[in-house]
Amino acid sequence: MNDVLLTLSKSPAARNVLGALKLPIPLPEPLARGDGAWVARPLEGATVVLGGAGKAELLPAITGALAEAGATILVDDDARVAALRDAAQAHARPVRADVADAADARDRIQALVFDATGIETVDGLRAAYEFLHPRVGRLARSGRVVLVGRERASDAGAQANAVRAALVGLAKALAKEIGKKGATANCVAVAPGAEGRLAPVLRWLCDPRSAFVTAQPLAVTARAKLPGGNGKAASTPYVRPLDGKVAIVTGAARGIGRATALALAAEGARVVCLDRAEDSKDTSELARQIGGTALLVDVTAADAPAKILEALGERGVDIVVHNAGITRDKTLARMKPEHWDAVMAVNLAAVVRITDALVPRALRDGGRIVCLSSVSGIAGNVGQTNYAASKAALIGYVDALATQLAPRGITANAIAPGFIETRMTAAIPMMIREAGRRLSALGQGGLPEDVAQAITFLASPGAQGITGSTLRVCGGALIGA
Amino acid sequence: MASSQSKRRAVVVGGMRTPFLKAFTDFTRLDTIALGVAATRALLAKHDLPYRAVEGVVWGGVILPAGAPNVGREIALDLKLDPAAEAMTVTRACASGLQAVTLAAAAIERGEADVMIAGGSDSTSNASVQLPQQLVHAFAPLALGKPTPGDYLAALAKLGPVADLVPRRPQIAERTTGEVMGESAERMAQRWEITREAQDALALRSHQHAAAAIASGRLAGEVTKVDVGDGKWVHTDGLVRGDTSAEKLAKLRPAFAKDGTITAGNASPLTDGGAAVLLMSEERAKALGYKPLAAFRSWAYVGVDPADQLLIGPALAVPRALDRAGITLADCDFVDLHEAFAAQVLCVVKAIGSAAWARARLGRDTAVGEVDPARLNVRGGSIALGHPFGATGARMVTTMANELAASGKQHAVLGICAAGGLGAAAVLEAV
Repeated sequence: MNDVLLTLSKSPAARNVLGALKLPIPLPEPLARGDGAWVARPLEGATVVLGGAGKAELLPAITGALAEAGATILVDDDARVAALRDAAQAHARPVRADVADAADARDRIQALVFDATGIETVDGLRAAYEFLHPRVGRLARSGRVVLVGRERASDAGAQANAVRAALVGLAKALAKEIGKKGATANCVAVAPGAEGRLAPVLRWLCDPRSAFVTAQPLAVTARAKLPGGNGKAASTPYVRPLDGKVAIVTGAARGIGRATALALAAEGARVVCLDRAEDSKDTSELARQIGGTALLVDVTAADAPAKILEALGERGVDIVVHNAGITRDKTLARMKPEHWDAVMAVNLAAVVRITDALVPRALRDGGRIVCLSSVSGIAGNVGQTNYAASKAALIGYVDALATQLAPRGITANAIAPGFIETRMTAAIPMMIREAGRRLSALGQGGLPEDVAQAITFLASPGAQGITGSTLRVCGGALIGA
Repeated sequence: MASSQSKRRAVVVGGMRTPFLKAFTDFTRLDTIALGVAATRALLAKHDLPYRAVEGVVWGGVILPAGAPNVGREIALDLKLDPAAEAMTVTRACASGLQAVTLAAAAIERGEADVMIAGGSDSTSNASVQLPQQLVHAFAPLALGKPTPGDYLAALAKLGPVADLVPRRPQIAERTTGEVMGESAERMAQRWEITREAQDALALRSHQHAAAAIASGRLAGEVTKVDVGDGKWVHTDGLVRGDTSAEKLAKLRPAFAKDGTITAGNASPLTDGGAAVLLMSEERAKALGYKPLAAFRSWAYVGVDPADQLLIGPALAVPRALDRAGITLADCDFVDLHEAFAAQVLCVVKAIGSAAWARARLGRDTAVGEVDPARLNVRGGSIALGHPFGATGARMVTTMANELAASGKQHAVLGICAAGGLGAAAVLEAV
């Protein structure tokens, strides 16, 4: 579990020694992560530079979102200052031009955000280069790059669609370049009509709590109906966003499940912590710690759905996190049927049965379903045909669920963790473990808290625009990308 | 809450205050109780109030004397009011005075009382210099128990570096953020892009309006002379500088940041003073033969995150009070904003005039309104007059009530920012 290189890299002395020796060991950059619950202004005092191409219609909304998050806003072009002033002033932030001779031009940049929605032609793409090229060197450690574009669509203009695809490639490549300083690069595609849902997503991508999400394309859509009619973006809660919500987390006793229960509770949710009776001690202690409820049930048991419904009671549930999962690794030729069956039963069949029971009877409108998939499900791993199949299945499952539940304002998403430092990964043989850690843009494993934060974000009201998708929390893992 | 429909209306019969003096000058030997007594005695004398008429005293203060924190009661007892008159003391930082006045108004509206005295006072000169808590905690067992020699050694061992133990002068620093109020104001000035020139211009106006009000005798009716001992009397405010100029203000050095904009000249100074207001139910005022100056229409108190914009509260409280009064900013003939700092007033004015602010913070599409400079702080403000924390609210109520009565105009709105990220506002209407 102990990452020696990461430990070394936290010591300035060790960094100097290794630097002087010129050893070909790339030291991973320790990531800045947000401690504790969400805060009103995660970017207080941080400098963010905004840029855009053409009309850049989303820039005012982007400005407003980041000004509200506390950022000092600079913009690439003098001519845009006047147009963005109003949006920033709503949160009492000025907007200044990021021009070469300005005093701010020497400031470290916490985030570079580029609105590419105005790019229609291949020539127009150059604007992205022109914005990023002079500034990427000023990006701070654990900084952020976010490219905002339009959703790819086969019925779009061919050049426009090429541009949209190009942005994803650009973000992924840039993520690998800046990963060594702990910085991330992601791309957000905004569907028509979903512009008002961008702000919370952008805010989260710029927050330290998204530290391990990099090289990802995210789609923000208008698929899931807004609960309660006109829910304006301005009223999105950012402090204790889950106040008054009830959540259930399966496999809550340890690892990612435990971190998730803690994170959801920190944002105000009452959490039902579900795990097997064998883990009653850990589960009960966790439930006591967060003021939640322990529910000792084997998710594969025939009466599991009924017991969960009973525990949730009349009030029902707002957030369902299907986290319980197991591995029974063997190459397919050697795999016994019980290995196949056990993995399918826990990782897939139980998810479907429990969801089927909860959706009509307990899951409230505007609710959230999050399934724990895996990068292994996306890329495949030797010895994990069963596991990969079960985890890949969830990707298709949430996509269809999302469509089904959209009219009720419910979103369904999968999270695909990459290499996360847990008891499960600590058991992997050393060489393979090292490869898992280093073969990624950030050059290190993630923490259960990184996954928990991504789940918490998807569970929050601000994530209404994200549904049917699979979000990788993988530090930019090279496999399956 | 007050509204035009309420049966009972609380009216302002009158108000009096002491002169406001710079801390550690002629009022140094008067504590907050003595200042309150001086203001209230003048108020009672001016209105020739019957001995048993006063039913209660509500007082506001920020630096409360440790031995007698219920300043309101001490004032009543010192003045030999009827002991049956009840009294309390409230604290809401710089909005304490307004809080006291609106609590009295609320009691009258609810029918709990018909005649109340409310006000506030503060003596910055008499803020107790506190021993560091570490010292107190270390030595308390020695003072309160039967210590052995070993206990003395143990107590000494608990103490840290000497620097931590030296008693410190009190600072107006936020407890949660550690930020001195001037630093918060400086950050707000940067965020709202308020220039030094604009701040100095507002400070200059404050002095000029206050000086004119004193020179014309307009303020004489609400300021009493105070006996400071040794046969000496203080007759008038000590901080107003009618002869200051933009050039003089421009020469002052920034006080809170190296290239900052806030100076001693465009901030309110540490001040000693007290102010008292006589409130009655409308019927009782008429029955006793008084002609009220103004009535309370509404008020509002709000809180904001002190780590964000500590002093922006009035930009939320003013629109809320206006809504409750059922009027708009344009209906207000006078706008009186407490001047903690010129920068803070200008930030509030800018926020009130911003549609973007209204959308983000008030959930409405249009700005609260432009503040007409001709209606703003027409008799000067806290920068020129000074700011004894607890007294300011009562001073503003008195000045605006007199202004409405003298001008025959309809409405005045008051706004006060306060430590802790609090904001206060009230709407007065003509009777």
